[in-house]
Amino acid sequence: MSTVHPSLRAARALDRELGDPRDDGRIFSHRRIADLDEHERFPLEIVRELDLLGLPDHYVPVAHGGSLARYDSAVQLMRTIARRDLTSAIAHGKTFLGAVSVWTGGTAEQAARLGADVRDGAVVSWGLTEREHGSDLMAGDVTAEPVGGGYRLTGEKWLINNANRGHLVCVLARTGGEGPRALSLFLVDKRPLAPGEFTLLPGTRLHGIRGADISGIAFHDAPLPAAARIGAEGEGLETVLKSLQLTRTLCSSLSLGAGDHALGMVLDYTHRRTMYDRPLFDLPQSRRTVAEAAADLLLAEAVSLLASRGIHALTGELAVASAATKYLVPTVVQGALTRLGGVMGARSLVVGDTYEHGRFQKVQRDHRIVGIFDGSTLVNLHALINQFPFLERAHRRGRVDAAGLAAAADLGAELPDFDRAQLSLLARAGCSPVQALPEAVRELVELAAKGELPASLARRAEALLAATEDVLARIARYRPTAVEVPREAFTLAEDYARCFAGAAAVHLWLRSSAAALADGGPTAQLWRDGLWLEAALARVAALIRPGALPAGDDEVFERLAPVVAAQHRAGLLVSLLPYSVDRSRAPEEAGR
Amino acid sequence: MTTAPADTRTAPAADGTAGPDRGLFADLDTPVPLERLFGDPHDPQNPLGFAGIVAADERGDLPFAGERLLDAFGLGAEFVPTRLGGRLAEADRLARVLRPLFRRDAALGLGHGASNLVGSVNVWSAGSAAQQRRVADILLRNGRIAAAYTDMATGNDVARSAFQARIDGRQLRLTGRKEIINNLARAEAITVLARTSDEPGSRSHSMVLLDRAELPREGVHFLPRYRTVGVRGLYLGGVEFRDCAVPLETVAGRLGEAFETILRAFQVTRSTLPAAAVGTLDTQLRTVLDFALERRLYGRTVAELPHARSVLAGAFLDLLVCDSLATTACRALHLLPQQTNLYSAAVKYLVPLLMRDSVDELATVLGARSFLREGPHAIFQKHLRDLPIASLVHAGGTVCQATVIPQLPRLARRSWLNGPGAPAELFRLDAPLPELDMARLGISSPREDSLLATLPEIAAEVSEDRPLRALCDLLLAELAELKRRCAELAPRDRTPLASPASFAYAERYALLLAAASCLGVWRYNRHHPSAFVTDTRWLTAALARLTARLGHPPVAGLDGLEADVFAELVERHGARRDFDLVGRRFG
Repeated sequence: MSTVHPSLRAARALDRELGDPRDDGRIFSHRRIADLDEHERFPLEIVRELDLLGLPDHYVPVAHGGSLARYDSAVQLMRTIARRDLTSAIAHGKTFLGAVSVWTGGTAEQAARLGADVRDGAVVSWGLTEREHGSDLMAGDVTAEPVGGGYRLTGEKWLINNANRGHLVCVLARTGGEGPRALSLFLVDKRPLAPGEFTLLPGTRLHGIRGADISGIAFHDAPLPAAARIGAEGEGLETVLKSLQLTRTLCSSLSLGAGDHALGMVLDYTHRRTMYDRPLFDLPQSRRTVAEAAADLLLAEAVSLLASRGIHALTGELAVASAATKYLVPTVVQGALTRLGGVMGARSLVVGDTYEHGRFQKVQRDHRIVGIFDGSTLVNLHALINQFPFLERAHRRGRVDAAGLAAAADLGAELPDFDRAQLSLLARAGCSPVQALPEAVRELVELAAKGELPASLARRAEALLAATEDVLARIARYRPTAVEVPREAFTLAEDYARCFAGAAAVHLWLRSSAAALADGGPTAQLWRDGLWLEAALARVAALIRPGALPAGDDEVFERLAPVVAAQHRAGLLVSLLPYSVDRSRAPEEAGR
Repeated sequence: MTTAPADTRTAPAADGTAGPDRGLFADLDTPVPLERLFGDPHDPQNPLGFAGIVAADERGDLPFAGERLLDAFGLGAEFVPTRLGGRLAEADRLARVLRPLFRRDAALGLGHGASNLVGSVNVWSAGSAAQQRRVADILLRNGRIAAAYTDMATGNDVARSAFQARIDGRQLRLTGRKEIINNLARAEAITVLARTSDEPGSRSHSMVLLDRAELPREGVHFLPRYRTVGVRGLYLGGVEFRDCAVPLETVAGRLGEAFETILRAFQVTRSTLPAAAVGTLDTQLRTVLDFALERRLYGRTVAELPHARSVLAGAFLDLLVCDSLATTACRALHLLPQQTNLYSAAVKYLVPLLMRDSVDELATVLGARSFLREGPHAIFQKHLRDLPIASLVHAGGTVCQATVIPQLPRLARRSWLNGPGAPAELFRLDAPLPELDMARLGISSPREDSLLATLPEIAAEVSEDRPLRALCDLLLAELAELKRRCAELAPRDRTPLASPASFAYAERYALLLAAASCLGVWRYNRHHPSAFVTDTRWLTAALARLTARLGHPPVAGLDGLEADVFAELVERHGARRDFDLVGRRFG
């Protein structure tokens, strides 16, 4: 595309300003990142750099004085940072997570005040989990007792990102009563509190994102004004769950950035390294592994694009889309990272100056947190299981929000403003991308019949549809149990999420390929003949049915490999959008 | 319960109650000495408890208390053949001796186990009598042997290594680098692989046995210690020789024959190390089980959640599969030495893969605790970091698959489905083994594949047990299809340029081999004191996991199996028993 896609504008500008990470003279350099990680130091200078470049502005919706207008743009911003360093992305991006409950559940006045604070550099943290209860938020022990018009807050939140550093912390606390309405949400400003009213708990030592401030905070009868409460009493959990729909969707950016980083390293390595007198990339098995991982990342990107645009266009369905995205994207990307590590061999395991600042092992370690925090893999699958009845019914009725789906899937379409009133705890209308799959597959099949798409793509699309019908038939047979959710239900939810991913890719290609193809260039090659789509659908099939005998229909990866390599050589990310990154200077392999 | 005909291949023991007994099953209630010496893993004051081991890892040190303890135990003798005064006689026993090390700390396992083994095995097979005596003495004194085969430029493709030893009169002149070598600078002796001829082909390399103390001060440049994401305690070194002269007598074995030597030696290490590393999965599983039994979520313990139970039972089954395959491969070194070139590569490929996937699943149950380097579950993240390195040591997965692939076509045509199966002793965990004779280990493609041929043989005996029968039928169909496809593999597919499909076949081959091992272990250990091991439940559940990996949907009749497996897991955990096939108490 001759013009930069609107979702990329802010990200591209930020990336340029941050400069080449291989240049030690930049603040956000590979060397600095490696040193910070090694010594478990918080990336203070990098965070400051991001502040200077106005990143906090992007955490505040336009309505509250910031520049957050579209969430697909937020994904690309965080992806750009995560591509360099997940620790910094998570350390900085946390302020959005801390603030989002005010955007979704607070008054205009609260939002305006917090917006100004965030734009001023305030760090906001999100205090949900507790030491003994983890993901079981309803079991929380932290209590806010009503006292003389305000509250007194007591208890401990643990494993909280930026609990020490944060100026404000958004806390879920018990205000009385039973069940889900026993909890309320408070934006606690630590600054006016007296020293004895809260204690900061030391940062935990972590497997990855070692420099992040993952710590805790204990409140001791800390006084809160009534105005600190976000939403009504008893609405805390609801506000949190709605907010999580946004953040779980946006978390995909972290996985995409990690994937970009790792795939970029592997493409560099496999082209420079020779084995048996040819580049490693030309050994069939290595090339296949890289191509499959690239297809995984493109699939993840397609899901992230559709889901983040869906925040605006399919808001009422976000309870399903966000859970499917938060399960699928980190899982698929972690798998790709593992297999890419196999291609890198020992270089994927060394720390320090031996090879590329030990970046590969760091990405692998850091990325594991993405599947854990903000709702773990299991929590998200559980969220899908809870919505099985809606999914089944909406599918049976063929219910589709056609306008919303078109806006989400057409990368050139205008996005409606995000309307928080449309958020719903349960997607009663199901999930349009999946429900619209039969029609979309028909469209692909017709294009193939006219010779405009390969027959192999049509076959894969039909296979996806068949798999989807099968999953929904199994969901229809599934009888919800109040007590124990059987293992099979989790498998079913995984399969549903995989079908969702395949459907997202199909719709995205159908609605956006014309514009992408018109652009020319290496990225258009990815869209031509449905290449990326076919590869992505092959990966979906392999996820749904792993271990199938090679069927001799995998030449799509042979076609994908050179296109991916060409995109990389042209200084572009391996991406569905033409996303240029500076690669003018080849990194040196230290020590060799 | 399936009934199989009484085994007539091996005479039962004189008392008629048990099979031939090395004493392995005689006492399953006394912990092995090493385990007892290591002490309570959960005692924060114990330097060899998990807290102490995590702390040493954080510092990048080996736990020195562990080094001293292993010295006192005399671990070095385990790597020395009995004929030279050591205790190395049976590969499966060596793996079991090393397992407690891997359960505690892979850095100890690799630092004191793997590298001594890899460094010395070549000398046992090819060194002169004097060299063998010297290396034996070093190990018997608890010294260290480093194995310097690789450099960064060529990695596992050791044939391409540019490291050169030029013969110059009565001297060898060494030039080149060796990198990421465990214990390099602190070892007493270093075995080095060097090119001694410029000719291409497999007869241009020789083994050199260097004495660390007698290395010249000139021409030897040590490189900074390498650091890796896991096993941070290892002293990984590097060295660059710059036309460094050493005596010609340092050549071990005949000039130009290093590859034959290595191809034999690697069979021993590729079988033994994965069998020992099963101890790592034991700890991961135990750690997550501890968590699941204690942690309460949504009003009940995690262990009461069906998903968590299923993951835990699955990991237990994976462990049993890994043990079955790796132990069988170890025993094959003694019993089927012509075939272990193949089996050892399959084991070194598949066992780390199964363990990795298993540990990743366990991590989802452990949740945020899997990410913490502190607290009662911190050992999990350490083992998580260690495992990929323990897996990569001296042969990555691709290298091993590339060893398997070219052997498949001939075996597919000749042996599978029609060859004779393996002898009962291969699977009988307590049956004595003939001495390990390195010279007999085959280095060309085997003509038979007895282990895989056991699959149809035992499958034919299974009749009454319906899910087990169905699983066997799936495996047999899979084997027939693999046979058809491998027989047709193009010549190009037997080279490093093999197609991805060939790699997929190599993986399926290894999975079938694992299934054959499980069947064999179940079939020939009816005298095992544990009813769980002799029963079909674990076998059926394990084969179901393998067929799932082969892409087959579950067969009917598996309900309740997982619950039984989980119950055994919890019972063994409570009784502090190993999760492996032997199931001995460890504390």
